[in-house]
Amino acid sequence: MKYIKFLIFAITGTMFVSCDTDEFLNPLPDSAIVADSFFQSDEDVLAGIIGIYDAVQGVNENTESSSIAYNRGVQLEYLLTEHRSDNTRSKTLEGSRADFHRYIVEPDNVQSEDYYQSMYEIIFRANNVLEYIDNADDANIDKYTAEAKFLRAYAYFNLVRLYGDVPLVTRVAGSDEKELLFTRIPVATVYDQIVLDLQAGVTHLDNTHKSRASQAAAQGLLAKVYLTLPVPNYIGARQLCEDVINSAAFALESNFSDVFYNELNDEIIFAVQYLSGNPEESQGFSSEFTSYSRQGRQDGLNIVNPNLAEDFIAFGGNRTAASYAAFGDDASLPVPESAEVIKFLPDGSDISDTNLPTYGAAPANAGNDWIILRYSDVLLMHAEAILAGGTETTNSDAIDSYMEVRERAGFDPIADRPSILTRDALLIERRVELAFENHRFFDLLRLGVAHDVLGAHATLKGYTSYNIRRLLLPMPSREINLSEGLMTQNPQ
Amino acid sequence: MKNQLNIFKNALKLVLCLSAIIFSVSCEKAFEFDLPEAGSLEDNSLPTADFDYIPNALDFRTIEFNNLSTESINFAWDFGGGVTSTDKDPSHTFVAGEGTYPVTLTASDANGASTTVTLDVDVVDVFVPLPVTIINGDFDDGQNDWKFSSFTGGTTSPFNSSSDGSFTNYDGSDNGAKTAGAKWTKSTSAGAYLSSNTRYAYQAIIVSPTDATRTVKYVLEYEYAIKTPAEQAGVAPGGNRIISEVLDGHFSDGADAVASTHVSQFVADQANGKTSHTTVRQEFTTNASGEMAIMFYAVSDVDCYIDNVKVYAAD
Repeated sequence: MKYIKFLIFAITGTMFVSCDTDEFLNPLPDSAIVADSFFQSDEDVLAGIIGIYDAVQGVNENTESSSIAYNRGVQLEYLLTEHRSDNTRSKTLEGSRADFHRYIVEPDNVQSEDYYQSMYEIIFRANNVLEYIDNADDANIDKYTAEAKFLRAYAYFNLVRLYGDVPLVTRVAGSDEKELLFTRIPVATVYDQIVLDLQAGVTHLDNTHKSRASQAAAQGLLAKVYLTLPVPNYIGARQLCEDVINSAAFALESNFSDVFYNELNDEIIFAVQYLSGNPEESQGFSSEFTSYSRQGRQDGLNIVNPNLAEDFIAFGGNRTAASYAAFGDDASLPVPESAEVIKFLPDGSDISDTNLPTYGAAPANAGNDWIILRYSDVLLMHAEAILAGGTETTNSDAIDSYMEVRERAGFDPIADRPSILTRDALLIERRVELAFENHRFFDLLRLGVAHDVLGAHATLKGYTSYNIRRLLLPMPSREINLSEGLMTQNPQ
Repeated sequence: MKNQLNIFKNALKLVLCLSAIIFSVSCEKAFEFDLPEAGSLEDNSLPTADFDYIPNALDFRTIEFNNLSTESINFAWDFGGGVTSTDKDPSHTFVAGEGTYPVTLTASDANGASTTVTLDVDVVDVFVPLPVTIINGDFDDGQNDWKFSSFTGGTTSPFNSSSDGSFTNYDGSDNGAKTAGAKWTKSTSAGAYLSSNTRYAYQAIIVSPTDATRTVKYVLEYEYAIKTPAEQAGVAPGGNRIISEVLDGHFSDGADAVASTHVSQFVADQANGKTSHTTVRQEFTTNASGEMAIMFYAVSDVDCYIDNVKVYAAD
C-alpha cells in the first residue's frame, strides 16, 4: 500500500489524458475538420491531391456498413438527385432512403447528412493541401493549386444546388471559428468562389488525365456553372463548350453501351475510378440500383418510373435497350411499372434471362466508374447555351450539337433533324441521354421548370408532401445543433 | 399542572409539525419553476417571414402563395380588402384582375415572437395562345390530312396534287426550285362551276378560345398563285380567285361545312402567274369553343395554286 500515492497519480493522469484528447465532448462540425497534418515535399503534396480524390470516391457501404455519416459521397448521390426527380424511385417505403422520392426528407436524414459531410470532407482536404502548396516543386504549384480548387468547386457546386446558402470555407479553419464554419453565405457569393476556382483549372490544367481534373473538365464544369448561375452567363458557357468541342480531344462512342463499359473512353471527360473486387476502392451503387435480386446491403433503389420509360420509348432510340431493363412480370409489359437501371452493371453480369439475371462474382464491390462529365453532356450544354434561356432556337450550331447526340442514338441526320430546337426537346434529350447519371434534377432546376414538372409528377404519384420548398434539402440538424444558433434552416 | 404541561407539549408538537409542513410546501413553491428552467437557453432563432407566389395555371388572377418563412409555425396573411388567412400556403383570387397588390405575411413561433413582411404581388395576364400545327401544310404529302371524312353530294378529294408549288420551303428558306403544292382547275372550281366534282381542302384546328376576359386573334397564312391571261385564257364570273375561309367548328361532312357561316373569309385574286406566289395573312378572332377549321376552294377558269399553309397566334 505504500505505492498508493503513485497509483492515484497514475490513474488521475490517465483520466485527464483520455478526457483531454477525445473529441467526445467537443464534436467537430462537418464543415470544419481541423488540420493536424502537413505536406513537406512535392511528393507529399501530390499524395494530398490524390487524397482529395479519395474523398470524392467515397466509401463503399458494403465495406463499411455503419449507417452514421461515413463519407459515402457520390455513391449515394442518386438518392439526393435522381430520386428527387421524376426519373426514379425507391421500391420500398421504409427507411431514410425511401424519403427522397416522396419529398419527405427531414433535417435528420442520414443520407442527406452523409452527403453534406462528404462534400465538406472534399473541401477540407482541398483547403488542407492548398495550405501547404508552396512545399511542392515550383513547376507544379499552379497545376496542383488548380486541381485542388477544381475539386473544391465541384463540391461547392453540388452543395449550393442542393442546400442553397452554405458556409463558405476556403482555408483550414479551427473548430472555434464558429462564425466562419456555420454562417450560411448567399448562393451568389458561393458561386463567385466556384467560378474563380474553376477558372484556375481552365488556365493551368491540361488534358493529361480523365480520372483527375483536366482543362476540359474545368471548362465543362464551368460551362455548367455559367448556365446555372442566378444570372446565367450564356456567352461564356457557349465559348467554353466550343473550346472543349474544338480541342478535338473527345468524341462520342459509336456504341452507346461502350460509354459505360469501356472505361475512360473517348467520350469521358471526368470520371471517378473504382476497382472491381477491391473493398477499399470499389463502389456500392451498382449493387444498390442495377440488381433485380439483392446483391449488396440495399436493393430496389433507382427503380425506373413508367413516365421515364415512355420518354425512352418515344425519344431514346438505341439508348433504350442500353439504359434500363425490365425483369419478371414487367418484362412482358409495353411500359414496365418497375425497371432496373443497366448502365452500371457489375462486372460479369448476365441479364439475358429476364427471370434470373446474374451479377458476376463481386457485385457488392463493383468497379464501374462514376461519370461526372462526358462529351455528350457538353454538346447538349452547347445547344443550351445558344438557346440562352429562350424556349426555342433555329440556330444551326445548336441543332448540329443536338443532332450529333441524337444521331449516335440511331436517329436520321436529315429526316429527324428539326428546323427549330425547343427547350422542351432539349430537356427530353438530356433526360434520355443522361438518365441515371444524376443530371435530371439539376437540369429541371437550371431550365426553370422544376416546380412545374415535379409538382405535376408528385400529383400524379400521390406524393402529397411535395411543395416548392422541397426543391431545397433541409440543412442537416447535426450542423444546426452544433452551430448554437448561427446556422439557419431552410423554409420547411 | 402536569396536565397543563402536557397540553403545552402537545401544542408545541402541533406547531412544529405544522410549520414543518408549511416550510416544505413553501419550499416546493419556491423551487417549482426553477428546476425545469435550469440551464435552458433563450430562443435566439427568431422567425423570418418571406413568401413567393405562382399564378394558377387556369386563372391568372388566382395566386398560389408559397410560404418561405423560417423558424415559425403560425402564419397570418393579409391580402387587402379585409381578406385574411391563417393557412401556411394559401391561395387568393384578386378579382380586380391585373395590378399590383401589397400582401402582408406575419410569421410567428410558439413563443409569440414574430416578423412581418409586406411584398407587392404582381398579377399579370401571362396568356400564351395555343400553338397550331397545320399537318402537311407544305403539301409534300399530297392530299393527306386535307380531306373531309365524308361529303354528301360531293367529293372528299381536296385538290389536285401539284408539283407547281412555291419556291419557298415551309420553314421560310429558299428551296432554289419548285416545291409541291395544291392546285385547282376550272373543273374542280366552285361558284359558277359548282358541281359534285368541286373540291374543298379542309383541316380542323384547335385554338385558344375567346371568352369574356379576353379576345384572341390568330393569323391564317398561305401563299397562292393564279395563272396570268398570257399563260392560260379565261375568266370565271366574278374573276379568277382562291377563297380561304375560317369556319366556326369542326365538320365531318363537307356539305355541312360549306353550308355553315364562316368566321372569316379572304378572296385572293392577284394573277401573277404560275409559281409567282403572293403571301396572304388573314387575321381572325377565335370562337368560344376553340374548335375551328380552315377551308380552301377556288372559282377560276385558269389553274391556281396554294402552298405553305400556317396558322399562328397574332401578335
